[in-house]
Amino acid sequence: MTSVRCASEKAMNPTFTMVLCAVALGLPTAGFLVSALSAGKLPRRVVSFLGPGVVLGAFVATLILLAELLAQPPASRGITVAFWHWLNLSVGSGGGAVARSGFNADFSVRIDSLSVLMMLVITGIGGLIHVYSVGYMAEDPGYNRFFAYMNLFITSMLLLVMSENLIFLIIGWSMVAFVSYALIAFWYQRPAAVTAGRKAFITQVIGDVGLVLGAFLIFLNLRGSGGQLLHSVDLQTIFANVGPGAHNQNGLGSMGGGLVTTIGLLLFLGAAAKSAQWPLHTWLPDAMEGPTPVSALIHAATMVTAGVYLVARFHPIYQQAPVAAGVVAAVGIGTALMAAIIGCTQFDIKRVIAYSTMSQIGLMIFAVGAGAYSAGMFQFFTHACFKALLFLAAGNVIHALGDEQDIRSMGGLSTRMKLTFGAFLVGSLALAGIPFFAGWFSKEELLSSGLALGPAVPWLWVLGVAVNVLTSFYIFRVVWMAFRGQPATSRASTAHEARPVMLIPVLLLAVLATVVGFLNIDFFGFHPITVFSEFLQPVVGTPSAHASAGIQALALVIGTLLSLGGLTLVWMVYGRRLIAADLISRHLPWLYQLSLQKFYWDEIYDVTLVRPTVALAATVTQVLEADLFDELVKGVKQGVLTLADDLRTMQTGFFRDYALIFFVCAVIGLVVLGLRLA
Amino acid sequence: MNGLFPGFLTLSAAMFALGALGVMVRRNPLVVFMSIELMLNAGNLALVTYARYTHTMAGQVFALIVIAVAASEVVVGLALITGVYRSGRRLDIDDLSEMRE
Repeated sequence: MTSVRCASEKAMNPTFTMVLCAVALGLPTAGFLVSALSAGKLPRRVVSFLGPGVVLGAFVATLILLAELLAQPPASRGITVAFWHWLNLSVGSGGGAVARSGFNADFSVRIDSLSVLMMLVITGIGGLIHVYSVGYMAEDPGYNRFFAYMNLFITSMLLLVMSENLIFLIIGWSMVAFVSYALIAFWYQRPAAVTAGRKAFITQVIGDVGLVLGAFLIFLNLRGSGGQLLHSVDLQTIFANVGPGAHNQNGLGSMGGGLVTTIGLLLFLGAAAKSAQWPLHTWLPDAMEGPTPVSALIHAATMVTAGVYLVARFHPIYQQAPVAAGVVAAVGIGTALMAAIIGCTQFDIKRVIAYSTMSQIGLMIFAVGAGAYSAGMFQFFTHACFKALLFLAAGNVIHALGDEQDIRSMGGLSTRMKLTFGAFLVGSLALAGIPFFAGWFSKEELLSSGLALGPAVPWLWVLGVAVNVLTSFYIFRVVWMAFRGQPATSRASTAHEARPVMLIPVLLLAVLATVVGFLNIDFFGFHPITVFSEFLQPVVGTPSAHASAGIQALALVIGTLLSLGGLTLVWMVYGRRLIAADLISRHLPWLYQLSLQKFYWDEIYDVTLVRPTVALAATVTQVLEADLFDELVKGVKQGVLTLADDLRTMQTGFFRDYALIFFVCAVIGLVVLGLRLA
Repeated sequence: MNGLFPGFLTLSAAMFALGALGVMVRRNPLVVFMSIELMLNAGNLALVTYARYTHTMAGQVFALIVIAVAASEVVVGLALITGVYRSGRRLDIDDLSEMRE
C-alpha cells in the first residue's frame, strides 16, 4: 500500500493544490490577525462578516480540494505539498556506526482523503458554528476577541490535520490546546471558567509530553532501507519505513517490539488527553464553562476528535504494536461506558452532552484501536454533525432561558421553540442510533467491525451495545425533561424561538445529521467496502477481517432494538411514569452516587495528585526557600556589603593617594611584565 | 652618536620620575600640571630616542601625536583650574576632595 502511495505522487497538480492549501490556511489566519490586531476597534458589523466569512472561504477551498482528489483514481489520491524549507541541519555523531545524515524539516502539507475529511468537518461545521456565534455572542463585550480566537482555532486545527511534518503537527496540536484554554476561560471574570481553562490546559500539556516523547523516539530510531538512521520527521517517510518490509528488525520494524509499543502508548497519551479519554478525561465536562459555540466546535466536533485522527494517521505504527492498539481499544470502550453511565444522572444540559461526547469519542477510539479506522472516522464524521447540532440547539435553549443550563428548570419548551425542539430531537435520534439517522449507520458499522476482531471480542460488542442503550436513555431523558411536560420556571414558560442567524445553522446541521449516514448505504448489502470507507481506503486500508454477514445482521438487529429499548425506557419513566424515576437511587444508591459524582475521579485526583503537590510545594517553600535559598542570598548580600565597607576607605579624596596607587600598580605591572619577558 | 642612547634614556627616566614625584607631592594644581607635562615630554624623549635607534619613523610620529594630545589636555586642565579659581576657592589640591568616601 505504501509503495502504491509513493509511486503516484505526481498525479495531482502541485501548484494548484498549494494555492488551495494556502487559501485554506491563510484565510482564517488573516481573519485572526485582523480581528486581534484591530484591538476591538473594528466595528461589529465587519467582524460579523469577516469571522464566519474566512472560515466559509476556507470551506470552499476544501471543497475544491475534495473535487480535485475525487477526480483522481483511488490509488493516486494523495499529494504532499512543500511550501518552504523550514530547517536544514546536519546531525549525527560523525563516523562510527551512526552515519552522518541531514535533518530536514519542511513546512509541508499532506492532502489525502483523511486530511481532506478532517478539513471538511473543521471548515464546514466550523463555518456553520461561526455563523451561529454571530447571534449567540451578539451582546457580548468580547465579540471581536471571540472571533479572533475562533479563527485562530480553525487555523491551528487545520495545521494539525494538514501537516505532513511531525514538528508542525505538534505545533498545531499545542496551538489548539492554547486556543481551547483561551476560549474555555473566555469569560475571564468567572472564576469557574478560569479554573476550567487551566485544568484543560494542564491536562493537555500532560498529553503533549507523551506526544513529544513518542515523536523523539520515532526520530531517534527510524531506519531506512540500508539500515541507516533516517532522522526524518516526515510522516510519509516514517510510515514507509515502519512495519513489514522495513529493514530495521531491532527498531520500528519488529512486530510487537518493545520500542514500537512504547511509541504507540506515548502517542496515545497525547491522544487521550486531547480526546478526553480515561485517565485524562476530567477536563472535558468542566470545559462546558466556555460559550456554547465553543463547546460545539472545539469540545464536540473537532479538537476532541484529534486523538482519533492521530491514531488513524499513525495506524502503521499501531498495526505493528498490537499491545498498544489493544490498550487504545480497551481505554476507548471503558471510557465510553463510564461516560455513558455518568451522563444518565447529570442535570446540566451541556454536561450531559459533554459526557455524551466523551462516550462517543470513546467508541471512536475503540474503533481505531481495534483497527477499524474507516468505521472510527465515519463515526467521527457523523458525530461532528449531530453533536454540533445538539450543542447549538442546547445553546438556543440556554440563550432563550437567560443562561439557564439546569434541565430541571426547563420543561415544556417543545411548544414554544418548535424548530429548536425538532433539531434537538433529530440530533438525539442520530446520537441514540435510531434507524436511518446518521448515528445509526456509523455506530452499527463501528460495533460490527469490532465484532470481526477475534474470538475474544463479543464481550467488547456487548459493552458497545450497553453504551448505546445508555446513550439512548440519557439523551431522551434530556429531551423529555427539557422539552416535554410543564414549564418548571417562569422563564421556561415565556421562552421564545431563537433568531434566524442562530436557527439556520441548526437546521442545516439537522439536515446533515439526517442524511450523512447514507454515505455508507452499502452496509445493507453486507459488502465490506462502502462509499465512505472506499474514500478513506487509500490512506487507512481496509480492515483485515470481517464478521460473517449473518452475525453482522444479527448484531445490527439486536443493537437497533436495544437502542429503541432505551428510548422506550425513557418514555416509560418520564413520559408515562410507569417506572419511578428514583428506582435506581432508592434500590442501588451506590450506583446512583457513583454516576452522580462522576466516579469520583476529580476527588481521586485531588487526593492523589493535587494535594500531595500542594503539600510538597508548601514544604519546599518553608524548608528549601526560607532556610536554604533565602539564607544563601542573604549571605551573598552581607559579603558584598562588608567588602564595600572595606573598599570605601580607599576613597580618601586626596589626589596624591590615587596617583600613588596608580604609580605603584604601574610599577608592579611593569615588573611582572619584565619578569615574564626575561 | 650611538653611545648617547643610554644617556638620553636615563635623562628620560629621570624626568619621568621627577614629574611623578611632583604630581604626588605638590599641592598647587598648576605645578601638578607642569609635572604632568614633564612626564609627557619624558615619554616623548624616549620615543624619539628609540625611533632613532631603530631607524624607523613610528616613534617620531607618535611623539608628534603626544604633543597634540598634551596641548588639548592643557586646554581642558587649565579650563578646570580657572573654573575652580573663579568659584572663589583656594587653588589647593588637598582642598578639592569632596569626592571622598
